[in-house]
Amino acid sequence: MSIFNSWPGASNSYDGVDAYFTSANNEGTLIFWTLVSIAILIFTTWSAAKHESETAKNTK
Amino acid sequence: MTLEELTSYVTVQSATIAEGWYYIMTGLMIAIHVGFLMYEVGASRMQNAVSSGVKNLLAFAFMIPTFWLFGWYIYLAFPHGLVPMDMEGYGVPWNVSMGPMLSDQLTGVFWAAFTLFACTTASVFSGAVIERIRISSFVFLAVLLGSVCWNLGASWGWHFDGWLVTKFGYHDVAAAGVVHMIAGWFAFGVILNLGPRVGRYNADGSMNELEGHDLRFSFVGLLMIIVGFFGFLGACLIWPGLPALGMQEVTTWTQIYGAPATLSSFAYNTLMGLAGGMIGAFWMSKGNPFWMMSGGLAGIFSCASGLDIWYPGLAFVLGTVGGIIIIPANDLLHKIFKVDDPVGAVAVHGVAGIWGVLAMGIFASGYPGASDAIPAVSFYGQLIGCITMFAVGFIPGYGVSFVMKMMGWLRVPDHVQQAGIDKAELGLRATNY
Repeated sequence: MSIFNSWPGASNSYDGVDAYFTSANNEGTLIFWTLVSIAILIFTTWSAAKHESETAKNTK
Repeated sequence: MTLEELTSYVTVQSATIAEGWYYIMTGLMIAIHVGFLMYEVGASRMQNAVSSGVKNLLAFAFMIPTFWLFGWYIYLAFPHGLVPMDMEGYGVPWNVSMGPMLSDQLTGVFWAAFTLFACTTASVFSGAVIERIRISSFVFLAVLLGSVCWNLGASWGWHFDGWLVTKFGYHDVAAAGVVHMIAGWFAFGVILNLGPRVGRYNADGSMNELEGHDLRFSFVGLLMIIVGFFGFLGACLIWPGLPALGMQEVTTWTQIYGAPATLSSFAYNTLMGLAGGMIGAFWMSKGNPFWMMSGGLAGIFSCASGLDIWYPGLAFVLGTVGGIIIIPANDLLHKIFKVDDPVGAVAVHGVAGIWGVLAMGIFASGYPGASDAIPAVSFYGQLIGCITMFAVGFIPGYGVSFVMKMMGWLRVPDHVQQAGIDKAELGLRATNY
């Protein structure tokens, strides 16, 4: 298994698996990717606002 | 109703609905070609807009009969390498399997869906060569890519019995490598020989922007490609419980390798990858709308190999990375090789495709194959697949276009480019205003 991933079922089998996506049985990893997603959204919005402010300042 | 009658009824309904599903997905995929056509027409200068569109229409028209003649056969016959399997005539055009049969409702619609996959592959290539490739040369190369090269890569890595799958556990359910890498690197091989458009580079090596005539076409075109991709991705899944495929006991959708999958996984991850790609490219390009839309596509391709298994939050992150990396990758390719890729096809498909294939090895190693015959996903297996897809695209693209260049059958002469291909070759112009 990758350090980024855990398989929620038996080795090389889908038997008994329900949620079958990456790290489905590891809430900590899911929280990590959720936080990264939120950070991307906040950072991109902040970065766009910064660019707009700088543009406004430079075109005065 | 007896049990036998009920069984017969359910079997007939299942086969008919499955037939309808692939029929509708095939129709939906035509939106990809509407999209590529609009995108490339918009990205062309006014003097070449019609010829760019003609090229897209011809790619579509030539791909269909050639896929019927030999493309489908290549996909079916070569999963074990370069020696064809004996299929007792199945898949060759003079066999009954290649026409409508009452006892076989599925071959025709599967062929149709794969034909549209092939058309998509050729359309990926077409954007990289606009405004200076001869239309006849383009058609020949598009057929080589869409009805020969891609089919070989798909037979090896997008087939439950393909050697990349059975030996290395290669996992690429929505074709990041099999379609996008092959098409992107085939295009790269061709544009190395084709050379840039007249006026693209100055004598000192600096580059000029040759802006397309209408960005609005490109906007709508790119969104249409995304609409069509839902057809493409829907056709990548296998309808549950098909008796004709010996899958009566299977109660879920399966992906192309036969492992369980859901449309939900495709919906989650396509949309999250798309959004991530657009946001990543928005940030990296400082709001360039052309790159935002291309970034959306790159975001989908970044998730494509594992579209069946990603956690949606991870798909968003993978898509964001894909949207970011295509811009420096495009700049780097232009700077190092002095190529001219007007729509960034090599970066969007070739580079994002590599990222998508390798991301599967990085973030999903250990995921099981569909059966004991298929090893679990590994970074090594994905790397082998990546190298193979690069080679299947780049080597024929470069080699054949080199021969065509030597024959003088590749590039529109510079004086015709300067006059405008629409006027010189077609006697037409894109608009009357």
